[in-house]
Amino acid sequence: MTRRWRHGAFAYVIAVPFAIVLAFPFVWMGVTSFKPEAQVYDPTKVWTFHPTLANYGFLFHHTGYLRWLRNSTFVGLVVVLLTLAVAVPAGYALARLSGRVGRTLGVAIFLTYLVPPTLLFLPLSRVISKLGLGDRLWALILVYPSFTIPFAIWLLMGFFKAIPQELEDAALIDGCSRLGALVRIVLPVSLPGLITVVIFTFSLVINEFVYAITFISSSTNRTVTVGVPTDLIRGDLFNWPGIMAAILLPSIPLALVYNAFLNRFITGFTGGAFR
Amino acid sequence: MPDTTDQPAEEQSRLTRRELLKKAGAGAVALGAAGSTAPFSFAGPLRYKGRWLKGDLSIIQWVHFVPAYDDWFDNTWVKQWGQANDVQVKVEHINNTLLDTRAAAEVAAQSGHDLFFNLHPMASYEDQVINHASIIHEIEGKVGKYGALAKASTYNPKTKKYFAVSDNYVPDPVIWRHDLWNGIGESPATWDHVAKAAPKLKAAGHPIGIGQSQELDSNMALIAFLMCFGGFIQDEHNRPTLGSKKTVEAVKFMANLFKTGEDSGIFGWNPASNNNYLYSGTGSLILNAISATRTPEAQHLPFSDNLWIWPIPAGPNGRLGLEHVMGCYSIWKFAQNKENAEKFLADMCIHGKDATMASQLYNFPSFPGAFPFKSIRKAAAADKNKPSGKYTILTTIAEKYTHNIGYPGTTNAAVDEIFSKYLIPQMFAQVSQGKLSAQDSVRDTMSVVKGIYAKWKKRGKI
Amino acid sequence: MEARGRRRRYLAERRGFLATLLISPAVLFIGILVGAPLGLAIYLSFTDATAGSLSGRWLGLGNYRSALHDQIFRDALWHTVIFTVISQAVVIVCAGLLAHALVRRFRGRWLLRFFVLLPWAAPIALTAIGFLWFYDPQASIFTWFLVHLHLVDKSNLPNWLGTPHAAMSSIITVQAWRVLPFATVIFLAGISSIPQEVDDAAAMDGATGLKKFWYVSLPLQLPIAIVAVLFGIVFTATDMVVPYILTNGGPFNSTQVLTTYAFQTGINAGNIGEGAAIALFMLPLLAVVTIGMLVFARRAEVT
Repeated sequence: MTRRWRHGAFAYVIAVPFAIVLAFPFVWMGVTSFKPEAQVYDPTKVWTFHPTLANYGFLFHHTGYLRWLRNSTFVGLVVVLLTLAVAVPAGYALARLSGRVGRTLGVAIFLTYLVPPTLLFLPLSRVISKLGLGDRLWALILVYPSFTIPFAIWLLMGFFKAIPQELEDAALIDGCSRLGALVRIVLPVSLPGLITVVIFTFSLVINEFVYAITFISSSTNRTVTVGVPTDLIRGDLFNWPGIMAAILLPSIPLALVYNAFLNRFITGFTGGAFR
Repeated sequence: MPDTTDQPAEEQSRLTRRELLKKAGAGAVALGAAGSTAPFSFAGPLRYKGRWLKGDLSIIQWVHFVPAYDDWFDNTWVKQWGQANDVQVKVEHINNTLLDTRAAAEVAAQSGHDLFFNLHPMASYEDQVINHASIIHEIEGKVGKYGALAKASTYNPKTKKYFAVSDNYVPDPVIWRHDLWNGIGESPATWDHVAKAAPKLKAAGHPIGIGQSQELDSNMALIAFLMCFGGFIQDEHNRPTLGSKKTVEAVKFMANLFKTGEDSGIFGWNPASNNNYLYSGTGSLILNAISATRTPEAQHLPFSDNLWIWPIPAGPNGRLGLEHVMGCYSIWKFAQNKENAEKFLADMCIHGKDATMASQLYNFPSFPGAFPFKSIRKAAAADKNKPSGKYTILTTIAEKYTHNIGYPGTTNAAVDEIFSKYLIPQMFAQVSQGKLSAQDSVRDTMSVVKGIYAKWKKRGKI
Repeated sequence: MEARGRRRRYLAERRGFLATLLISPAVLFIGILVGAPLGLAIYLSFTDATAGSLSGRWLGLGNYRSALHDQIFRDALWHTVIFTVISQAVVIVCAGLLAHALVRRFRGRWLLRFFVLLPWAAPIALTAIGFLWFYDPQASIFTWFLVHLHLVDKSNLPNWLGTPHAAMSSIITVQAWRVLPFATVIFLAGISSIPQEVDDAAAMDGATGLKKFWYVSLPLQLPIAIVAVLFGIVFTATDMVVPYILTNGGPFNSTQVLTTYAFQTGINAGNIGEGAAIALFMLPLLAVVTIGMLVFARRAEVT
């Protein structure tokens, strides 16, 4: 009993302050998003004011916000699928199958990731236009895996390596093929890793900004990260409540989904390491 | 809306580009007339007799600081022009800070929009754009000379090339709270007045706000301030002259102005900050275009009627201001629909008046003949906002006190680089924050500037 | 014995083939979309390419030399190191603590984890704009708290983005805030994926508490933890969004990092070649760090 209590106390003492620090900006975004735009600078109305839904109404009725969300989601999902399809086999092969060559290759893959994306968009825009993908969401779908795949490979390599070789060897001796072992033994055990990859790939895609502004120009194909600064910052006037609402709206459901994923694999394993 | 019945299209396609340009205006005169009498309503389909132009036209430009302008541009002007010329026009707006990125990407891709708009002359892109001289000559034939300011901003005397056509510029006044200044019995007529008033205003809780940050407005304000003190980035032959004693004086003056009369917030500002500073009711003076007065008017802020617009305060070298924004259209060499872009641009400039009106006097035409100062003044006098007639001063500012970046030389690639790297705000800020002495800061900056000039000279652009 | 040897050889052969098959799509994709543009960027860094153009006159090492003589560049290099090292050090310590707390079973865990995940769920390009508002010179909510807790004097309010040290601290904070959930989740996944059997074995051997953590949990988590750290470093050193939006390098270049400076030089000022050289300067540096960490990770794995 006391031991359990001690466990809980440690968790609260650590987690509660962190949660407050990490989530506070979102609380303040929430508060600001209900403020009438003309009052955001009023020092007498920091916490007390007549809340309004006008900013959300503006977002839905006077900007292409829903469309931007749809575009971001679409790109995100397709890129996740592509990334998994390419990175799982590669990560497994690099973790288990290949010797020195593979290790060097693994490092090489990582090194490409070190290239600052700051200027890569220039040569890439030539590629995109040659392929006739200018101003299409498919341009982003093609380019985003260039940073999600190396990332996913490396994450998965880590997970695959952490799985004791013996588990797999047992399967191999039982007559399983390599691929069979991958699908039946390795993947289920590394589900946490896969979920992590899905979450991070999706969020990397949602986060991306430079490619999105350079490859997409028409308002119908904008993603959230491009649409919001374009339509909610009017030159030297920031629509703060609108911007806050626009950040908050996708963040909450995404965090819920991520949490649901996380919950599954952590629940499944709790009592493992910390019983 | 294909309208091919009047004249067969094949015959028209034989018209040369030059002839086409000559027709600019002809059809659009009717258009402009309709536009000016009822600027926000569409009078019905206007058909330009015949069909000279083929294909489409794509335009990319900023999200205008005055929202009404985009409304007019997209829904009135472009629609009418498209129908009159039977061209499908597509307009995209992006945030002004992203225009440079977009331009680089389009050049790298060698494909993009037919008309590219930027807020500053893209001097470094000279090799990528057509020579716009013929367009300018055609417009001049219709509405008179290209303004000196616009020419200095878009013409490279070394290569004899117009790398852009400016359709508009924006005068940059000082905007100040009359009530607050009156309270201490001062007004910002000269920089000495400002220096005297600033400590009192700060004591009253209303410091003045002149940015010293890595952003557009600080850049503009400080380069203009420098000129009022006789410090210039370059001379009339485009040779760097920044490292002068007068520059040192100006930097010292500003550092002192900051210490006695400003908040340190000015070092972290972005282009919106000085506006917000004013809107929050704190700031008593900023240097900005009139978008900073239009917003308080639209939001009915209590002090809106007390916002006065004056020319930049005078310094030892007189009153020398900058344009706040230099609107420039360029046509890429690789543009798909050059003819359409040229004609659109010509028509746009010829009807500069509509743009000025639609932007609520924010845009001023770069071809002064398109909407003479006298007429602008009349329009400004009709503005209902208080104090009445406050906007009439804009024409004086535009006529007398507005210069190009790089004055008395031309806006060239070196000036553009100095501007884009925010070297001038840095030069001021590191002295104001006590990191360097004025002499050292100016000397260091000058050595960087010299390197930049040498580089562009080697590339044959200066 | 014979049969077993053959079988082993057979497997080894298949291994090579299979590995090639599994890896090649990734290599192709990365080669075309990163390798080729990278090659071009390296080429550009040796030329005087201007304004978006992808070719120019050959300058050899000229751009690199002039960068090294540029005081702003040298500052930016140093700022990049500070920005990366401090923010990631904070992240590692905090993520380790947080992951060990969140993996436990306790009431309200779900909600706390949701809060912790929020910063990662929000698009950083937008939250950085949000932070512009939180750091606003007049309306900063942080300042409001400090004033109402009587921690600062009203006449001398903090200026979050306006003075060199404050601005650097502010962008480091935002970067750490942003990466922390990411690192925490990777740590969490690392802890969770330690198989039950290993744990049981450790328990049977009498390993508990710190001892178990040091000899069993830590080595098993290390490969994953290293990945988290490496990516944290890379996200921070190569991504410009936080400093770009919050300070744009200011005040007077005190938060200028290599990415923002490369962007300013290459894109805004139109010197593609110079910008490419500045951007690429970091590559060997990061490569050394990366390889060092990977070697360390491999050695750790063996133990």
